[in-house]
Amino acid sequence: MTDTGPGTGTGTDVLEAPVEETVTTPDTPWLVIVWNDPVNLMSYVVLVFQKVFGYSRAKAEKLMLEVHHDGKSVVASGTREKAEADVSRLHGHGLWATMEKDRP
Amino acid sequence: MIERFRRRTRGVELALAPVEVSLLRQLVAQLEEYFSEDAPPVRGEDPVRDRLFPRAFLDPTEDAAEADYQSVVYSDLAKERSETAQALIATLDAGTVRRDETLSVQLSVEDMERWIGALNDIRLALGVTLEIKEEMPPIGEDDPRAAEFAVYDWLTYLQGGLVAVLMGDES
Repeated sequence: MTDTGPGTGTGTDVLEAPVEETVTTPDTPWLVIVWNDPVNLMSYVVLVFQKVFGYSRAKAEKLMLEVHHDGKSVVASGTREKAEADVSRLHGHGLWATMEKDRP
Repeated sequence: MIERFRRRTRGVELALAPVEVSLLRQLVAQLEEYFSEDAPPVRGEDPVRDRLFPRAFLDPTEDAAEADYQSVVYSDLAKERSETAQALIATLDAGTVRRDETLSVQLSVEDMERWIGALNDIRLALGVTLEIKEEMPPIGEDDPRAAEFAVYDWLTYLQGGLVAVLMGDES
């Protein structure tokens, strides 16, 4: 929300809008990242990963431990739309989740 | 001591002291205020709302996408979480007072999920105001925030207990 970069204001130059759309090719995978948080319980995070992604308990626990020990973990990836949907569900459960383009 | 969780065929029976019931009602009412705003948080204005509705994009070049994301999801997430918190209150309203004055609350699996979600949001909000860290030094009894920390710990215990029951882990 904070407007830190140039050209991201609420200007009326509608011609700029399509340019933004073409920056990301549809094939670029987006990564869904969950960050460590001092409040969320480890067991709760496992529960949320199972519920949101349908992961097995073992996989959910592995990802939770990555978040806990490494400070963050990539918990899913896919198209921009899918990543946004995943992030919003994680936000709905109070997890600190972000998304970014995969950089090879 | 209250026997806190009693496993039921589908769900759990939860026992709460009268003071705990009024505390939960008060905490949910406070939480509701964070969900009552019509617009997404303006960053830096309220650290609690910033935590309850975090950014989706950290990259500052994605600020336009971030604004889009918040405009699409914010009101749904706020409404959904407000309803989750209200569902907790509804189960309290439907509880039965026992002879020892504790409130017996019957929670289905769905109710448990809602309780866990609402308790998590309350803990997130308290966690910001109490500046909860991964490694906390012990809180002295004379600390002016001792009571708030005790509430936080109690919520942690309650939420953790419900998660354990839901996942079949309770001992």
